[in-house]
Amino acid sequence: MDGTAVSLELADIQGIVARGYGTLPAACFVLARIDDPRAARGWIGSLTDRVTHADLRPEVEAVNVAFTAEGLRALGMPEGTLAGFSTEFAAGMTTEHRRRLLGDVDDSAPEHWSWGGPDTEPVHVLLMLYARDAPDLARLHEEQLARLREGGLVATRTLDTAGDILGREHFGFRDGVSQPRIEELSSSPADAESVRGGEFVLGYPNEYGRLTLRPTVDAGDDPANRLPEHEIAGRRDLGRNGSYLVFRQLGQDVAAFWRFCEDATRTDDGRPDPEARLRLAARMIGRWPSGAPLVLAPEADDPALADANEFAYHHADADGRRCPLGAHIRRAHPRDMLAPDPGTEASVAVGKRHRLLRRGRKYGPPVPEGDLFSVGEPYAGPGEERGLHFICLVANLARQFEFVQHTWLNNPRFAGLYEDPDPILSPPAPRGRVFTVQASPVRRRYSGVPRFVSVRGGGYFFLPGVRCLGWLARMPS
Amino acid sequence: MRATVVPGRVPELLEVLGDFHTDTRGSPGIPFRSLYGVHFARMVLLEDASDLRGRRIPASLVYFADVDGSADSHLAELAELGDAGLDATFGLCDGYPEVPTPAGRLAFLREHSIVTQAPYVNTLGRTVDQVQREAALRDAIADFLDSREWDPEVADPSDVRRAIQDFVRGNPDLRWARRRAPRPPLRRRAREKLHAVLVPLGLLAAAPLIVAVLPGWALLLRLHEKTDPAPHRRPEPEHIESLLALEDFAAQNQFTVIGLVKPGVLRAVTVRVLLWLTAFATRHVFNRANLAGVTTIHFARWVVLDGGRRVIFTSNYDGSVESYMDDFIDKVAWGLNALFSNGVGYPKTRWLLLDGARDEQPFKDILRRRQIPTQVWYAAYDQLSAKNLHNNELIRAGVFGPLSPVETARWTARL
Repeated sequence: MDGTAVSLELADIQGIVARGYGTLPAACFVLARIDDPRAARGWIGSLTDRVTHADLRPEVEAVNVAFTAEGLRALGMPEGTLAGFSTEFAAGMTTEHRRRLLGDVDDSAPEHWSWGGPDTEPVHVLLMLYARDAPDLARLHEEQLARLREGGLVATRTLDTAGDILGREHFGFRDGVSQPRIEELSSSPADAESVRGGEFVLGYPNEYGRLTLRPTVDAGDDPANRLPEHEIAGRRDLGRNGSYLVFRQLGQDVAAFWRFCEDATRTDDGRPDPEARLRLAARMIGRWPSGAPLVLAPEADDPALADANEFAYHHADADGRRCPLGAHIRRAHPRDMLAPDPGTEASVAVGKRHRLLRRGRKYGPPVPEGDLFSVGEPYAGPGEERGLHFICLVANLARQFEFVQHTWLNNPRFAGLYEDPDPILSPPAPRGRVFTVQASPVRRRYSGVPRFVSVRGGGYFFLPGVRCLGWLARMPS
Repeated sequence: MRATVVPGRVPELLEVLGDFHTDTRGSPGIPFRSLYGVHFARMVLLEDASDLRGRRIPASLVYFADVDGSADSHLAELAELGDAGLDATFGLCDGYPEVPTPAGRLAFLREHSIVTQAPYVNTLGRTVDQVQREAALRDAIADFLDSREWDPEVADPSDVRRAIQDFVRGNPDLRWARRRAPRPPLRRRAREKLHAVLVPLGLLAAAPLIVAVLPGWALLLRLHEKTDPAPHRRPEPEHIESLLALEDFAAQNQFTVIGLVKPGVLRAVTVRVLLWLTAFATRHVFNRANLAGVTTIHFARWVVLDGGRRVIFTSNYDGSVESYMDDFIDKVAWGLNALFSNGVGYPKTRWLLLDGARDEQPFKDILRRRQIPTQVWYAAYDQLSAKNLHNNELIRAGVFGPLSPVETARWTARL
């Protein structure tokens, strides 16, 4: 399978895989519950024409849909078929073990989630709606809610988004600069950032040159031949052109973030030092507010480097004196730092097996321009909840999303460190989180780093291919 | 060591082991922390099984420990201090003394000892005591550094090191750090060197024979590889749940897999020879913080059981099972293939070393299917990674060891 040119069947893949809909800044996510499987299948049937495919670049609106394992069960999918999906998807995000793995403990424990937890409404369906502007989105939302009602589904929650996607995330830093490029969808030659489509879409060769495991059904259960053939004779491919979608609602305590940076960098006589405050924040992130990476701009922000993504760590900064070893972007995407041969193609190749296609949107009111990068108490009023609807697409939940979250972000011993989990996203540590800035003559440690980001909701979803949707609409029961 | 469980008493034993497990974070019936030099220990129930010919292999209980001293002095201590734990577990096994006394328990333990064909130790000769002292030293130095300002305009790495030397000298608890880590006695080092030289020499002498046998063996193996069935079956969700329930509580995790060796003389011989080579390699080559590129394994072992019908592999590693298996595939697929492809159900290999583990999903699934719950697991320093231990060792060596200015700068970067 290695080396052969593969093209993705874009007409059978949902659009969110190919693009984040940058031209459609208004978006919301509807969570729904299935009460009546027969009617719900009718709803899926009516939705099949409305779902945005990856072969079109939508200019007005886009609709995509995904299901939890519980949702597929509620639709009437037999357990035998469900068993063909990945174990992580089938078990869901909130098992005892997964809480340990993902760090969903204390305030971030699923009991405290506003959706997707054990004490909230079951989540069966995720409907992703995108439009050019707020009024268009409102119309699309209304229309889709009406269709849900007709299909006997109960919309339990709509997650709004902030409506501006080209800006910065709430801490004030440019986000989403580094994305894996799907090799099969790109005209430029393969490089460190290009990753084979099979890492994100089921049914295509992954970075091992293999097909990731995916669910199948007996050919007899697909009498109308809606589903693609599977390599095993007599089976039809339910997973092909689908993806697993991870959704995490991440609340950001912006005031706490800047308060920590301010207190940790006060001058000897106790005055705030805005420059040092910003420098510490940038070191925790690994980029400056403009997006310029610290490994290229270690001393000060350089907007000319805002889009810079062609850099590596090992030869420029193996010891972390430019960009700290524990910085967020350095652990979420270690580039050429990975063992056993840092600084080589082999190291980059290992990293390619742990990439996430990010499709998130931020939510909540923006931090006022004048208050950016400062403690700005006024914007931290009660009820002012803001954060990121983190969404990513993967073919293998365990090797991609869970690995990155556990082995790189949450791991206090990442890159030979001791007590330094990710300064932005990790859960609290038994003895308090530590952030180390490597420096000469010796490193500086910041202890007692509080948690700035907490999990408010989440779930594992399956984003089916278009033909799979058609089959679900007429699933034998 | 291993003992057969008295027929019918497996459920009772499982219950006892389960109780121990909930207690693992503290002391599971056996006070491992008070025993001398225990790095890791585990008790695992091998449930009733049958071999490839359908012959029954009765349930048994195994106990493995990685210790600093001799195995026999460990057993003696275990018999004395671990009395309650042993009585509750091995007391349900054949041959355990009816009225246990320290001497009776010791006799039982000795009688049931089994041989490890291939052990792996991350860093040979590094004792629990050394690990713990060096960790304390590193923490103390780190806190000391935090208590001062280090202005790059004023201080350079050698100033930092001098200040640390003064700090260590002035701290009675850290005086031991002025000495180098103890090395094994000269006699032992000489013996190891001799072994490292004589074995390859012996192989060289046998080269004509090996060259004569190798092609035939390789062809026969290739034939077997082509016909050995390698069905891809996924593990049962309940089985996965039972494993996950025991994982990811600390920085380290445990791993126990057991499998049947493929039928025939070829595989039986291949396994023995490869384990013998593995034992040589881990003793002389991979004996310092690196197992062919994998730096996350503390201790591991391969043990041939039931007259060669089964092999059990246990390890103590850093991180999650996902990162562990990815390491296997990305770094030592050849090694895994060479040893594990002699086990029933392993994904197809080519010429022993190729493919196999590179077939990611079938590989991960067969490992999970062969994995069994490690009911009792003790880890002496479960919040430290192997990389941390190695770094601590180098910190200790560098406080007073001879360092050039460049080495001094590299050393301060470890702090």
